[in-house]
Order: sequence, then C-alpha cells, then structure tokens
Amino acid sequence: MLKGKLVKDVMFDVFDYPHIPYWFSIRQAIGIIKKSLLSGDKCHNPMAVLVFDEKYNLLGTVTLKDILKGLEPKFLKPSKKAQVHEEDESGLSVLWDTLFKESREAAERPVSEVMVPTKLFVKPEDPLTKAAYLMIHNEMALLPVLEDNKKFVGLVRMIEVFNELSDAVMTA
Amino acid sequence: MIITDKDKIVDRDKPQKLYVQLYEILRKKIENNDWPVGSQIPVEEELCRTYEVSMATVRLAVLELARQGYLTRKQGKGTFVCKRIIPEGLTMSASFKELMLEKGIAFSTQVLAQTVMMPTDDLDLKLDITEDKHIIYIKRLRMVDNEPVLLQETYIPHHICPPLLQEDVTDNSLFELFEKKHGITITMVKDFIEVAHSKPDESKLLGLPDDSPVLLVEQLFFSGDTQIMYTRSVKRPDRFRISIEFRKK
Repeated sequence: MLKGKLVKDVMFDVFDYPHIPYWFSIRQAIGIIKKSLLSGDKCHNPMAVLVFDEKYNLLGTVTLKDILKGLEPKFLKPSKKAQVHEEDESGLSVLWDTLFKESREAAERPVSEVMVPTKLFVKPEDPLTKAAYLMIHNEMALLPVLEDNKKFVGLVRMIEVFNELSDAVMTA
Repeated sequence: MIITDKDKIVDRDKPQKLYVQLYEILRKKIENNDWPVGSQIPVEEELCRTYEVSMATVRLAVLELARQGYLTRKQGKGTFVCKRIIPEGLTMSASFKELMLEKGIAFSTQVLAQTVMMPTDDLDLKLDITEDKHIIYIKRLRMVDNEPVLLQETYIPHHICPPLLQEDVTDNSLFELFEKKHGITITMVKDFIEVAHSKPDESKLLGLPDDSPVLLVEQLFFSGDTQIMYTRSVKRPDRFRISIEFRKK
C-alpha cells in the first residue's frame, strides 16, 4: 500500500548529485555533467546538477535539456515575426559554424540564466502521494526535500515515486 | 631487471593521480636498491606495459623523479639512477602558525560565500581528489580598519570535514576549527607565493584599479598524507610583508 509511505522513506542524499554555485558558467556545468556521465555509478536519471547560492541555499536545478536550451542559437528559436513556419527544419543543417560560434559564446553565460528555479518542494514527513501530485502537475522529475521549509536534506525522484505507486497498484 | 607482480600496484580506484602512484612505486625501487645507482631504468614503453599505464603517466613520473634528483636523463642513452645529493643542514622546518596569522593585525572578516561546488579547472589536482568529489568553498574578505586587504578563497573536500559547511567562519580560523573542534591535525603546509595581476572581481572587492599587481599566496594543507585544504589568497601588496622563520631540525 502506498498509504504510510513518506517522502523520507525514499528520498536520497543530496551529495549523490553534483553541486555548483550559480555563478558557474554553462561551460563549467557541461564539464561537470560530462564527468558524472562518464563516472557511471554516480549517474542518476534524471541527470541534473544542483545550483546553490553563496549560503548553500538551493536555487534550482540544471538538466541536459536546460543546457541545450541555453546553447540554442537565437536564429533557431521560434520567433513570432519569422515568416517561415516554425516547424521548418531545413535551416538546422546549415550554418554549423555560426551555430557553434554563437553556442560557444552562450556557454560563457552563468548557469543561473538557464536553471529551473526551485519553487516547489516537499517535507520529509509528507506522504509520497504529495510528491507524486507535484511531479504530475508541474512536469518535475526531481523534487527537493526541505526540512523546516529551509534546510535542504534530500531529493525525491520520479522513479522512486513510480516504483512505490506501481507496486501499490500491482499488489492491490 | 625483473619486475614482479606484487609491484604492480597502480590502483585506478585510488584518488591519487596515477603518475603520483607510479612515482612512489619507482622511487621505492630506487630506495630499496632494486635499481642501483648507475643502472639504466627500463625504457618508457616497457614501463607502460609493466604498470599498464599510459606513456604520459610514465613521463610525468620519470620527470618528477628526475626533478627530485633520483634519476638523470642522458640524451640518446637513456635514463639512469643517480646518486642523490641531500644538502645537509638545509632541511628546515618553519613554525607555520606564525606564517598564517599576520601577527598583531586585527582583521574583521566578511564571509562572501560558504557553499559547495564540484572541482573545475585544475582544482581536483590541487586538492588531490577525483573529479566527482564535492568541495566546500569558502570566500572571505578581510579588512583592516574597514579597508579590504585580503581576499581568501578556501577549498576543502567535503568528505574531509562535512560540518565545516555549517560552521561560523567569520571569526574562527579554519586552522583552529580543524585542530580544536574536529580533531584534524595539520602537519604540513606548502606555500606558493607569486606576484600576479588582480582579476576584475578581485580588483573590485579589494578596491584596486583593474589588473593591479597583487600578492598571490597559494597554500596546500596536509594532515599526514592526506591533503585537506587548498587556499588561494589575493593580498594587497602595499599592506603585507612576508616574513618566514626557519628553524633547524
């Protein structure tokens, strides 16, 4: 049964995920993500980097998607003024040089510009159903766990929520 | 020259860099007289095969041994074990507590950051840790008479002392926190001092014009064989004078 399962039963250590301060560049974040992906045993799904302020408060998360979005050259971004249809992809194969030049410059921006800010969180004593609810309605695969609304103590991932929920369904 | 299996102890799981491990292995061979003075050591390719490491690792290890005076490289002939000269009377130890706390100066400290990061650039090398280790990062600005004189960034592997993340580092010296509160004795400090130019953010914090000459002091702190801290201090050159005291052992 899902009833009774709490966030603290499935949450895991924040130190399983890489940490960076918000002033790190996107380039530095990429380096850290690549090392994590290569090291294997510490690679978690979803792959994310936690972003902190100077007082070790969690500010947000950076995922592969956020980085790709941050590197996307402006001319590929849909524009309301553009005459071309938004889904016309013919431009994607051209101008690689331009793309990389612009992306290289974009990589020097701080991660704070591309991270997803942490607005929602759960408490260790919250039921897992609350975590599931927040994940479903906010498209989050990773949810921070805060103690006393302040201290960052762990993370809940969709995979654990899924496992608990699906076990409850299957054994019902 | 026979190399036995038990010598093959380059361990990829150790946090220590491979070349450092290889350096230690080879140094022991010289000190144990397995490779006597005057003998030629195996060629790089052979060392690569024997210890299952890359050519770059072998070169770094051999280079370090040469720098430390264990080996001499003769062009076109090979690398030989040489008689190591240890200059007598020059092994001194400084009492480093006095080196760290500029005596008689009352600092006030502003903690600009106390957070966690992963190693970037060459921080993993400077702290002798693997790239996946978390680092406690502390940035402090020290002032005398409300005038900023010293900007200090400190990096400590998180696993060495996790509570440091929560400690008040405004008035407490990290040195004292390590030794008195957490029972970690600092046994060695390596200092690197150079004249450098201030970076834009450093100039701003220290109230200096951009690209000003500053005193850059890098310090590596050890507890036994373990490296526990790296600090990078940018000092206003007009406010500091370095004094080093040596004592004969």
